[in-house]
Amino acid sequence: MSEELVIQMKGITKVYPNGTVANQDVNFDVRKGEIHALMGENGAGKSTLMKMLFGLEQPTSGEILVNGEVVNLSSPTVAISKGIGMVHQHFMLVPSLTVAENMALGMVPKKSGVLIDYKKAVEITEEYSKKFNLRVDANAKVMDIPVGMKQKVEILKALVRGAKILILDEPTAVLTTQETVELFTELKNLKKQGYTLIFISHKLNEIMEITDRMTILRGGRSMGIHETKDVTPEEISRLMVGRDVILKVDKDQAKPTDEVLKVRDLEYVNEWGKKMLDKVSLSVRKGEILGIAGVEGNGQKELVDMLFGFNTPNAGTIEVNGANIIGLGQRELRERHIALVPEDRMLYGIAGTASIEENVISDRCGEKRLNKGILFNMKAIHEESAKLVKDYTVLCKSAQQQVGSLSGGNIQKVVVAREFSNGPELIIADQPTRGIDVGATEFIRKKLVELSRSGIAVLLVSADLNEVMELSDSLIIMCGGKIAAYFEDTKELSDELMGKYMLGIEKQTPEEIRRVCHE
Amino acid sequence: MNIFTTDFFFSIIRIATPILLATLAAVIGEKGGVSNIGLEGIMMMSALFGSLTAYWTGSWAVGLLAAMAVGLLEALLMGFFAFKLKTDIILVGTAVNMIGSGGTIFLVKVITNATMGKSLTSTTSLITKSLQVPSWNIPLIKDIPVIGKVISGHSLLTYIAFLLVFLTGVLLYKTPLGLNIRSVGENPNAASSVGVSVSRVRYITIGIGGILAGLGGAYMSMYYAMGWSLDMVAGRGFIALAAQSMGGGEPVGSMLAALIFGFAQALGIKVSATGVDSNLVAPIPYIVTILSLVVFALNQRRVEKHRHASALK
Amino acid sequence: MSKKNRTKFSIIRAAAAMGIALLVAFLLILLSADGANFSEKIAASGKALREMLVSPLFKKNGNFSMKNFSDVLAGMIPIMFTGLATCIMFSANQFNLGAEGGIMLGAFVTALVAIYAPIPGPLLMVVAVLAGGVAVGIVMLIPAVLKAKLGVSEMVNSLMLNYVIMYFLNYLMNSFLADTSKGITQTYAFQDNALIPQMIDNGSRLSWGFVIGIIMVILCWFFMYRTRWGYGIRMTGINQPFVMYSGMNVPLIIIISQVIGGVLAGMGGGIEMLGRYNVYNWSALPGYGWTGITVAILAGNNPAYVPLAAFFMSYLTKGCTLMSTNANVPSQLIDIIQAVIFIFFAAQQFLAGYRQKLVVKSAQEELAAKAAAMKAERSEQ
Repeated sequence: MSEELVIQMKGITKVYPNGTVANQDVNFDVRKGEIHALMGENGAGKSTLMKMLFGLEQPTSGEILVNGEVVNLSSPTVAISKGIGMVHQHFMLVPSLTVAENMALGMVPKKSGVLIDYKKAVEITEEYSKKFNLRVDANAKVMDIPVGMKQKVEILKALVRGAKILILDEPTAVLTTQETVELFTELKNLKKQGYTLIFISHKLNEIMEITDRMTILRGGRSMGIHETKDVTPEEISRLMVGRDVILKVDKDQAKPTDEVLKVRDLEYVNEWGKKMLDKVSLSVRKGEILGIAGVEGNGQKELVDMLFGFNTPNAGTIEVNGANIIGLGQRELRERHIALVPEDRMLYGIAGTASIEENVISDRCGEKRLNKGILFNMKAIHEESAKLVKDYTVLCKSAQQQVGSLSGGNIQKVVVAREFSNGPELIIADQPTRGIDVGATEFIRKKLVELSRSGIAVLLVSADLNEVMELSDSLIIMCGGKIAAYFEDTKELSDELMGKYMLGIEKQTPEEIRRVCHE
Repeated sequence: MNIFTTDFFFSIIRIATPILLATLAAVIGEKGGVSNIGLEGIMMMSALFGSLTAYWTGSWAVGLLAAMAVGLLEALLMGFFAFKLKTDIILVGTAVNMIGSGGTIFLVKVITNATMGKSLTSTTSLITKSLQVPSWNIPLIKDIPVIGKVISGHSLLTYIAFLLVFLTGVLLYKTPLGLNIRSVGENPNAASSVGVSVSRVRYITIGIGGILAGLGGAYMSMYYAMGWSLDMVAGRGFIALAAQSMGGGEPVGSMLAALIFGFAQALGIKVSATGVDSNLVAPIPYIVTILSLVVFALNQRRVEKHRHASALK
Repeated sequence: MSKKNRTKFSIIRAAAAMGIALLVAFLLILLSADGANFSEKIAASGKALREMLVSPLFKKNGNFSMKNFSDVLAGMIPIMFTGLATCIMFSANQFNLGAEGGIMLGAFVTALVAIYAPIPGPLLMVVAVLAGGVAVGIVMLIPAVLKAKLGVSEMVNSLMLNYVIMYFLNYLMNSFLADTSKGITQTYAFQDNALIPQMIDNGSRLSWGFVIGIIMVILCWFFMYRTRWGYGIRMTGINQPFVMYSGMNVPLIIIISQVIGGVLAGMGGGIEMLGRYNVYNWSALPGYGWTGITVAILAGNNPAYVPLAAFFMSYLTKGCTLMSTNANVPSQLIDIIQAVIFIFFAAQQFLAGYRQKLVVKSAQEELAAKAAAMKAERSEQ
């Protein structure tokens, strides 16, 4: 590895049209032939910085040098011509086109002047596939191939366009363990062939394993560039979050009482025929937090969809306080005091251009206490929203402010303020703290514990190991649509053991798992 | 009375032609993610300028070119508002339709007043037989019994329209531009990430649509109705949107849908010839449109259910 | 961006849109102006433009013209109703363009009741107008239910319905209802007790329907901003999945918004009929529905601004009519002006560069303030 700098970004500041300052005076450089990690929490400005390097966004101020030359990366086309390629977290593929067509898009081989030379496109795909040992099926439609292969198509797409510098945006987020191992081999292989890689991630172990240097961003600013071998995981975590991560949440021993949620033998096959839920049974009782851990995509989403009426199972039963809830709409579910903190808060959780006030009353706008006859009781509504803003420490000018103008953490506080405050008996919290700041995370976690201790049943779904292990009283692990393990007490659990169940290396006996039903 | 005569089938094709041209515009537009509800207004404007230009130059061919140019220009202007100024495309289309109805009558009055010294409210007096887009009796085919009478002797534009069904298919599925149009319509981010200029493709998409709608307008004023008059397009631009969705967004399917609308309208004319009030017959295509959208939606739903059910097995 | 800057920006933006529309109008007038040479044409165009902008308020001698002004107010009546109808439908993100056919059907049904229903006194007036509203509300169930239950585009269906309504009404007129003793197709006269009284007796046809229109504006505002249904409609327009997840009935909201829109358009037709005419003689779509869309866009879908937007449109329409009589410019210029203003109002990115500058400026000010506060804190320690 040489000291030659292929990328230099100097004094980069980016202000978005809505006023968000995503990057402030960031300096960033990459050496030729290295794997350089770009780290930071969600919202730290990693994606924005890389979008500017790939020409998708333009910096408000600052300059970018590629191979020592000042460049104006006005579009991805320019970036590509400078040898920069990007593998996006959300794949930039057209589902109804074949792999070869996706590869050829924007640089289509032609025959007789105007028509697509499809055979040539397939040949090129296969040639690159062999050369870099990235196996793909050139003739398959992208919508029919697995995630891991889609990612390979993305990498090949960049390489076939002559990229020498590859930006990989959280490439392992969607991959299975096996696929991740495979990817790392491929990346090391690329490095050997002289390619430069920028690797965006917030998974410490991955960073330590494959990167040479790292740049850490926090709150849009750079926390400096470091040699990977010279820093410890603790130092990295301190640089990322500004202080040592608070792992402990104080909580008393749970004293669970009556069963609230009772799920038995739930099965679901999705429309492509894949079995997403396979005989899932569980119970959640008053006063306890049951955690669901697992790598994403192992049935958690489908389970939550069933519980909140977004989908219906093919078999099995779901009861809340002894009554069936399958087939009920969200209104009836809310009348049964079921609350959901949704995984996708921007899609389900809020109406972005409406005010905070309008967002916190959406589940209760028809209730008597907020209405006077046919009109809203504005006084009661103002009081309610002001109280929630205060109780949930939402940082805003007033409850009349647009929700969309708040930071991610405050948006999530608005969501939980609504979901936690209308007398819930069962709270389903799906990734409640994903991508939000430490302060809001701590607040929401404490609130969940507090609510459970006041006698509410809480089902916590989280891909954040730290979160499920610390918050849950007992915990199940999902793998491949099944419950792989149940732990009555989370205290004696170790990460290694959890990992084995999550990745399907180990599995408890049906009897052990059945204990989650408390029968 | 036997209504299913060769004349009747001839008139289906004759009536379906402008709808088909606008439908192809809608097909390409939807593939590229551009829902153009302004086709109606574009057809009006092209119909007007096509007939005026034909009159001025004394040439139907120049008139036809002018109609296409006006369609293209108007479509590109729509693109500017929709893509550059980020105006909701439905509202842009609404504005174009406003100009297409009231604005055209203003223009025809002003222009005829300035060029001829008297202001006209239609151009029907200007389009003579010699300025009509010529019809074509296809050699050999015209002599085949029945079929010859149905498919020969139509306007040149009719044959161009059916040829364009084929060309649209080739464009969308066999050319690099078509690949770009489909990917911009399905996932614009994917297209732009590999250097395809999304806005350029969108301008091309809406521009092609403008030219096709322009041809449809020219057909109306320079063949079908022999001159422009107020509200002459009478919702054909909207019916095209319905034909597009009824035909599943594919060229051939949409062509069949356009023919169904042609059939409905031809039937209406036939029935009204027997003395039934034309006001009772005129709305048939619009009612057929609503019904066909319902049938299409119900069918779609059934297909999805069926797919899920078979996935379970 | 601060509230002051936001207001400043919207005013500048509105003024710029109108300025562009007037410029386009001027160029088009110039095209049609009489005159031997260019300077004569310019002068004639200037005169025509003055006619359009000033004469709705002032007479030739510069005195205030009550007649013209009351014409403008009378012209607001139907477009306030179609504007309100469109506001409510667009607020729920329902692109229902059926206010055009709706106002025609409402006018027709009201006319029938006003001619034939044996109802005594002013009650007839009320029943007739409500019947018009209810009839259109019921017809709007077609696009509404099809959208809510089957996901069929309400836009295409409502457009189709406009034509169906027009032809169907013409058929009824021709075949059954026309007063055959008259030369043109029109109904028999309304009963006297159905006519809405005039506010001023100067021939402007400014009826008390105007006041009903203003009352409807207030009611609609309360409905949209002070009731749970209006709230549901607005939230559906912003984020439909959010509304479903919150436990509100999205299909019902979609249906309600379009039915209410239909009722308003229908009532507008009825009030226009009883306030302006004494027979029904419409044979084509009146165009008020399209103007209503412009009114809604100008008002930003907020009922409170509908009177202002309706006044503006009515003023321009009157101006164009006067211009066509006095300066020989075809009155249909209004359609082009309307389209231009409409499209610039609807253009999100119109003057976006200027807005971005304001945003960056206020963000930088905020940052500077924060930095100064931090500095002060540090120096205290």
